[in-house]
Amino acid sequence: MRPIIGVDIGGTFTDCIVVTPDGAVTIGKALSTGPEFDDGFINAVAAAAARLGLDLEELVSSAEGIYHGCTVGTNAMVEGRTAKVALLTTRGHRDVLASMQAGRRLRSQPPEYIAYVSVQTKPDPLVPRSLIFEVDERVGLDGEVIVQLNEERAIQGIRELRDKGAEAFSVSLLWSVANDAHERRIAELIEQEAPGLFVSRASAVVNRIGEYERTVATVVNSLIGPAMDSYLERVQERLRGLGYERTLQIMTCSGGVIAANEARRLPMLTIGSGPVGGLIGSGTLGGLEGGRGGATNGRRPSMDIVTADMGGTTLDVGVIRDAQPLSRPTSWHGQYEYFVPTLDVRSIGSGGGSIIRYDEELGTLRVGPLSAGSRPGPVCYGRGGEQPTVTDANLVLGYINAENFLGGEMKLDADAARRALGAAGEPLGFSADETAMAAIRIVENQMADAIRVASVQQGYDPRRMSMFAYGGAGPLHGAALARELGIKRVVVPLSDLAAGWSAFGVASSDVLVVEEDALSLLSPFDAGLLAGRFEKLEGEVLARMEAQDIAVDDVVLARYVDMRYRRQVNEVEVEVPDGPLDAGGVERLTEAFEREYSRLFGEGTGYAAAGFAVTGLRIRGTARLGEFDLAERAVPAAAAEARRGEREILFPEGSGARETVAIYDGRAMSPGAGVRGPAIVEFPDTSVIVHDGATAGIDTFGSVVVEL
Amino acid sequence: MTVTESIAGTGSQTAGPVWDGITNSYRPPEDWRADVDPELRFHTETDKDLDPITFEVIRNRLWSINIAHGEQVTRVSGSPVFASLDFNMAILAEDGEIVTNAPYIQWMAAGGPFGVRYVLQHLSRESGVHPGDVFVVNDPWIAAIHEMDVLFLRPVFVDDELFCWTANAGHQYDLGGVQPGGWPQNAIDVFHDPTIFTPFKIVSGGRLNSELERLYVRNSREPGMLALDLRAQISGVTFSGERISELVERFGAAAVKGTMRRIVDNAQESMRRKLLSLPDGTWSEVKYFDHKLPGDRNTYRMQLNITKRGDRLRIDNHGTEPQPDEGPLGITALAMSGSAVGMLAVNVVYEQLFSIGGAERQIDWDIEPGLATSIQHPAAVGAGVLNTIAHAGAMQSCLAKMLACDPELAQDSMAPSAEYAAVVVAGRAASGEQYGQAILDHFAMGSGARSFKDGIGTSGPPWSPLTFLLNVEAVEQWYPLIYLYRRELPDSGGAGRWRGGTGFAYAWAPYRAASMEVMTFSAGMTLSGYSAAGVGGGYPSPAARVVVVQGSDLEEWISRRELPVGLDDIGGERIYLAGKNNGVAVGIDGVVEAVVGGGGGYGDPLLREPDRVVADVAAGAVSVAAAADAYGVVVDHLGKLDVGATERRREVLRSERGNWAAVGGGEGPASSTAATGGAPGAVHPAIVARDESGRRVLACRACDRVLCDYADNYKRHVLRGTAPVSALPGGPGVEPSRFLDPEVEFRRYCCPGCGTLLSSEVVRGDEGTVADMILLPDSAP
Repeated sequence: MRPIIGVDIGGTFTDCIVVTPDGAVTIGKALSTGPEFDDGFINAVAAAAARLGLDLEELVSSAEGIYHGCTVGTNAMVEGRTAKVALLTTRGHRDVLASMQAGRRLRSQPPEYIAYVSVQTKPDPLVPRSLIFEVDERVGLDGEVIVQLNEERAIQGIRELRDKGAEAFSVSLLWSVANDAHERRIAELIEQEAPGLFVSRASAVVNRIGEYERTVATVVNSLIGPAMDSYLERVQERLRGLGYERTLQIMTCSGGVIAANEARRLPMLTIGSGPVGGLIGSGTLGGLEGGRGGATNGRRPSMDIVTADMGGTTLDVGVIRDAQPLSRPTSWHGQYEYFVPTLDVRSIGSGGGSIIRYDEELGTLRVGPLSAGSRPGPVCYGRGGEQPTVTDANLVLGYINAENFLGGEMKLDADAARRALGAAGEPLGFSADETAMAAIRIVENQMADAIRVASVQQGYDPRRMSMFAYGGAGPLHGAALARELGIKRVVVPLSDLAAGWSAFGVASSDVLVVEEDALSLLSPFDAGLLAGRFEKLEGEVLARMEAQDIAVDDVVLARYVDMRYRRQVNEVEVEVPDGPLDAGGVERLTEAFEREYSRLFGEGTGYAAAGFAVTGLRIRGTARLGEFDLAERAVPAAAAEARRGEREILFPEGSGARETVAIYDGRAMSPGAGVRGPAIVEFPDTSVIVHDGATAGIDTFGSVVVEL
Repeated sequence: MTVTESIAGTGSQTAGPVWDGITNSYRPPEDWRADVDPELRFHTETDKDLDPITFEVIRNRLWSINIAHGEQVTRVSGSPVFASLDFNMAILAEDGEIVTNAPYIQWMAAGGPFGVRYVLQHLSRESGVHPGDVFVVNDPWIAAIHEMDVLFLRPVFVDDELFCWTANAGHQYDLGGVQPGGWPQNAIDVFHDPTIFTPFKIVSGGRLNSELERLYVRNSREPGMLALDLRAQISGVTFSGERISELVERFGAAAVKGTMRRIVDNAQESMRRKLLSLPDGTWSEVKYFDHKLPGDRNTYRMQLNITKRGDRLRIDNHGTEPQPDEGPLGITALAMSGSAVGMLAVNVVYEQLFSIGGAERQIDWDIEPGLATSIQHPAAVGAGVLNTIAHAGAMQSCLAKMLACDPELAQDSMAPSAEYAAVVVAGRAASGEQYGQAILDHFAMGSGARSFKDGIGTSGPPWSPLTFLLNVEAVEQWYPLIYLYRRELPDSGGAGRWRGGTGFAYAWAPYRAASMEVMTFSAGMTLSGYSAAGVGGGYPSPAARVVVVQGSDLEEWISRRELPVGLDDIGGERIYLAGKNNGVAVGIDGVVEAVVGGGGGYGDPLLREPDRVVADVAAGAVSVAAAADAYGVVVDHLGKLDVGATERRREVLRSERGNWAAVGGGEGPASSTAATGGAPGAVHPAIVARDESGRRVLACRACDRVLCDYADNYKRHVLRGTAPVSALPGGPGVEPSRFLDPEVEFRRYCCPGCGTLLSSEVVRGDEGTVADMILLPDSAP
């Protein structure tokens, strides 16, 4: 077996991990180089190669697979560096984007904004009205053509939009999910009138009922289409130049990878893929047989995990059930909601960079949602930040070692942090220490609240789960969150890799292709019709796999049905039970739905008397790529001494006085050895806080496991 | 008759034996605690020295518990009605004071405090209030806005003391009555309405009382669905209550109660501080509710007055007409006070995140019973509910005017959003299946202009910020129709220095329908007069419309492979529906078009920068004609500003205003306020208060001309232009006389010196000079 390379671009750093055939993991880091990110990509791989004692070309050309988590599309959307997109839609419905479903747009916003109606606003339109053209045509809900496509006028419209300088097109017509003939024809007309331009067709981007979210998805795909296309082309080109002949795999938010060529057609799948890698990695590790990867429910192994990925600006929360991360059908770009089959990662604005300030109106201290980001960043970074942040508080409390931050690459200014915290707490009569303790209590409780809402909203009780904590700040706060949530075990996956956990997740991903079919069927269901539609979807999935050079035999297909009770709104995705989809199969499917419904929503909450409805079919095709096993370390006969002295630490929930706490070098700890809290286990890129009453140890994979 | 009794310490209230919960709305008497079971002990121990951090932690937790409560209700019920956010939930203190509400329909849970106090006063001795109990009520004279919004209450105990309450209210599928769905627009009285339940204990010590459940669902056309919602709402208050119990276990009862008290105290303090920064005065809004029943051609006056004195706000309904003898027109005193408080939550104490109880402590209610905004039993209630929204609009107008008096608070001054007519479609699909429900596109109304910014087009309601517009592809699955268009409508926002956000026109045709009937019931004067009031000279937004086009030429369009995009495109016989009607059968070749309006304008439209108007025209928010008529801005055929023509046009419009009539009754000041020596300060978007020759006066902000004494009704001292309502650009295309016998007119008031607009309104022709602002002399700044 040959090495597997994972590359993940973050806001500040590009991380590269290499898993060599012996199961060892090596990290390389380089500064990200936006907006042309390909230099950072290559530099990070070169850094990893150097650590392995290889030259760049040697490593790249010998790679079994290269996996890439890429934020180019995400960044382009956030920074508004997008293409000038034109939209063609059904006559009468040009305002579908501008209406933003009225108040629904606010669901993505914090309560402070929702409540304050006199400052609310709508963002600039994704496509200005002058670049929207209404096509005379109409399809009904079952695909019947009610108004024939008026091609002459459509051509006129396309020419007008082209002449206005459109750089990419999107086509989104009502009910194209039921009949896509008009959309296809218009795409042909665009190719004829404006050859070579990037075109997104709604029913090909995401085949779900709901014209608003589908139109936004289509437009987003076009907004980043040209930029992603050229970026991926450049990376593919450079890797080929280095001797890599295989497929470059791109991480998607759906929870798997797709070939770069597929990503160039559907770049919107890469938006929000950043936090997904970590979730996949957690699922992989947590899903290991017998809970070897660390997941547990009390004494029994459990595949139910909540993930807490805390970086500089956000906390990303995910839920994994039976080793499967949960998904959802939509994502948000600001106030715009759009369809995309994505893992369900929920973000709140709490991170290391969250700003600590005194709120006059409430007479209390607030943390976030404003963030100092990486520029200017926390006060202690000395890059011009003046408002204290969570990272500054962590430093003042002693959680972070000022001398050894990022392995000593960056010196932190604790005095500046202390001054800023003192100023923020002054109206309350708080010292810097008191302000820091207060801020950490607040932010940890906010995070716990967010995790509680995220899990409860989906019908899960966090107390029955274990937590995987990673990202730069995750290990610092994971145990405190777990204690607040009643979680008994926290895993810092692969410990010193926690900061680069996403890259690992990217490298451990399968190829994933999702095809969906929107429909609206009422019980009693026609088994033949369902089977026929699934067959068609299967063909589409396999065709897309083949286009990525994957052998049909390697593809595993899983069939899902979105079902609900008639006259009720809660939709549940049910996996179609094995066996043929005949009358008996439909019956088993309905039973499976009822079981799942009552598990999620409570006993007796369904209403079978109203009948059932099927609203969508979905096939997830997966294919394993390079299989690799993580190396497990043996338990040594005698543990090395890992204790590296002690530090004075302030615990927010403690006595208020500094306590002397043992510091351990995590890299020197071996499986089987444990430490008793209060203690701090330090790694070059992160630290694990072990509170009083908790214990921590290293498992055979090198993960830190904190037992509460 | 005014019944006002003051309760020292808690803020005076409308209280006394008249407010019995039988004929008039229930208002707990001053000594309601005397009736509470003496065995029942209240938990009052609070940690007064609670550190601010524990406070912040518990505050956030209470918020997330309350939000998760809502999630629990919608998840368990699966009801599309709940999913469309037609509900709200709350946490209340042991005595019923609201600790926190949630960001859904703001007045929905307004009955909470009354329900709790009613239960304590009337049920605690006999049925008792015990751990694990849940009470339910939908009596509009006790604790519900109308019968369909059923309220659930659950006490939370710590040891053997009543610690707090959790509550939710949500709209049900059906509770009986003469019309399916619970909005009988033709109900003569409440006996035609959905079934009323006075408070009863549906869950006793954690056990559902199935006898009462059977009784509760018996009168419904949808007993199965109703039972699901019942269980969902019970599980919501239970879930929330259990989480609070856990919170108490974690932090201690005194800390949690201390947090609750401080949340309420903070809201009170914030309300106090904001009130103190404003001058004393009374701000009023006069509006009308159309049609007591289908066929009635009258419109009924309502008046809302808010009087700010020191740190207190008195709210009264004096000047409102008595409730009519029949029909669902008026709203209860609970709906009146609930909608007023709901607007305070989002317009004044928004930073308190819907913790409205403390703000209420600063309010003195002075509600005169038996009027159109304080109706008595047995008036019909179910279909009058949209006038709660009209009343909320009146409150928003009053607040916008009051907040404009302080330079800082003026940032929060905002004209109202559009009210609406709900359009119900019913009939039989070609498949034979029956259908019937409201088309909810009206939730895409535009919002009002602000003192510094335009309103938002298709924003959704400010009184329920998350309420949304459904997809065409959702609605078309439910009803046999196809949408022809949904388009933002030019001129639908009120003109102004800042323009109201635009509303939206939506049209559909029957598709695979065997039959289709369309019926409407509306708020205020939505279909006859205007959709939202303007502020400070900004125009009201024009009336909306619901039009059935019979025998349309849609088939011809389709055969040409084209589609119409506006009412003007569609040929056929037009039927304009009145604000209440018994329904029109739509032919199979018919088309229905409805409009939901935009928000009100803010300030004189002639003061809007011409470039903004040009941009509005380009964006389709303002027509070329309205640009010239309302804004005095001339846009040429290329869409460019004609600078010279615009200057001339504005000059003409201003000089026309100079010819308007003096209002009269304004000769000689009615009052004389002494000069204060204070600096000039704005007290209105177009008016300043300043000293002049030993007096404190009101003067035009634009030209500084003295208008009147500080304490006078300025409108009586300025010029007034009267025009037909059709002078408002973007109107429905028919005059109010189509629906109403009383005359209705569009009035504008301007400064006699420079012609700047000070106020504009749509009122009945017999209306006097409405005093929308009377400042009190003794607090003149």
